Amino acid sequence: MVKIYVVYNYGQYNHLIHRTLRDLGVETKLIPNTTPVEELKDVDGLVLGGGPSLDRTGNCELYVKELDIPILGVCLGHQLIAKVFGGEVGKGKAGGYAEVKIKVVEDDEIFEGIPKEFKAWASHMDEVKKLPKDFKLLAKSEICEIEAMRHKSKPIYGVQWHPEVYHTEYGVDFYRNFVKICKR
Amino acid sequence: MVNVKEFVEKAIKEIREKVGDGKAIIALSGGVDSSVCAVLAYKAIGDRLIPVFVDTGLMREGEPERIKEIFGHMGLVFVDAKEEFFKALKGVTDPEEKRKIIGELFVRIFERVAEEHKADYLIQGTIYPDIIESMGGIKSHHNVGGFPTKYKFKGVIEPLRELYKDEVREVARYLGLPKEICERMPFPGPGLAVRIVGEVTPEKVEIVRKANKIVEEELEDYEKWQAFAALIGKATGVKGDVRVYGYIIAIRAVTSRDGMTADILPIDYEKLRKITLRITSEIPEVTRVVYDLTPKPPATIEFE
Repeated sequence: MVKIYVVYNYGQYNHLIHRTLRDLGVETKLIPNTTPVEELKDVDGLVLGGGPSLDRTGNCELYVKELDIPILGVCLGHQLIAKVFGGEVGKGKAGGYAEVKIKVVEDDEIFEGIPKEFKAWASHMDEVKKLPKDFKLLAKSEICEIEAMRHKSKPIYGVQWHPEVYHTEYGVDFYRNFVKICKR
Repeated sequence: MVNVKEFVEKAIKEIREKVGDGKAIIALSGGVDSSVCAVLAYKAIGDRLIPVFVDTGLMREGEPERIKEIFGHMGLVFVDAKEEFFKALKGVTDPEEKRKIIGELFVRIFERVAEEHKADYLIQGTIYPDIIESMGGIKSHHNVGGFPTKYKFKGVIEPLRELYKDEVREVARYLGLPKEICERMPFPGPGLAVRIVGEVTPEKVEIVRKANKIVEEELEDYEKWQAFAALIGKATGVKGDVRVYGYIIAIRAVTSRDGMTADILPIDYEKLRKITLRITSEIPEVTRVVYDLTPKPPATIEFE
């Protein structure tokens, strides 16, 4: 069984990531973000959950730097990945709450079977302002230029919206694609 | 999804083993979580279970009476605490303060009952999201890790700790609980007190209770997560050529799978109109009715 852990960053929806993965047949656990990196050596993938502040992301930066496995950052997790790789995070010109229309601008395996445009639900004030050097843009929306990104050579992804909430379209497909990536 | 049959067998066994030949107490709210726990515990330990219901005066129309009917055969301890609650809430306007006062008073009453009956164990309907939210400090659930009571229990048992709400409903159906419980809309612990913006008075509770009943009745056939009324302030109206400075009622109706995100329920105009006219004609103190169009996020489902 593929083992993907969810790092709890104090966001409301973190447990829904856990549930989505569990229902996809993944061996999963919601773990504190203070878990030592050594304890994560045998996991096949990691999801960094959302939360209120980059100051409360514990060891997340270490996980991104030291673990050579697929990583998906959601909301704050996405912003954290951007920061670790030298991007910029700041307040958006408009807050993104509830429905946002996502436009996929570049094909990627994470969007396999998902239309180029779909409705997603978000909940954020901050956003990624500048893409890190080694990343490429995957999706944007009218209120946010960098809705999704990935590392150019590694399976490291960030999304600003919440694929785990019920109102987001194709959320389960999105996680299924991530699970597939982790299985390799 | 959890395997319901296996879960039920496991939960009953767990309760039986932990309680041994002692006694356990459980607080019923009328919601699906505590109801499922009570049925599981009753199956496990029979009349060594002491189910308690505290009537805070902040419940919905007919609710305390229904709970008596459904759980009466389990030896329900019914506590009428309406006056105590209204007294404690007098003059309080801050929403967090309200929640705190209600929570504390509830615990004190519950503790009294536990002491009287010499209960050894506390059984609670804590579900998985409650545990996570308490860890994160988003909401404090007084049912996580036990009530902060001075009365010492030998242990706290939380049979639903790994389940999500929709799974609890599956278990409820499997256990044969009445449909009104299995499909019951979530109702906040502090009751109608958080559906009144500002000070809670018996008058306002009565108004919001009536309005709530109308909304529930009219939207009964709609597929929804929650539908209710809240009293959100005062506004001027004119009723029969007389100026009335009355109350504003907001209709709140949302769809959701789990309460974590919620979208507004598309109600047709004629229906909204009917609800409005019923509320303003059946409740003299109400002069204005509005429909809340905000999803969650950014709004929460409840008003306070």
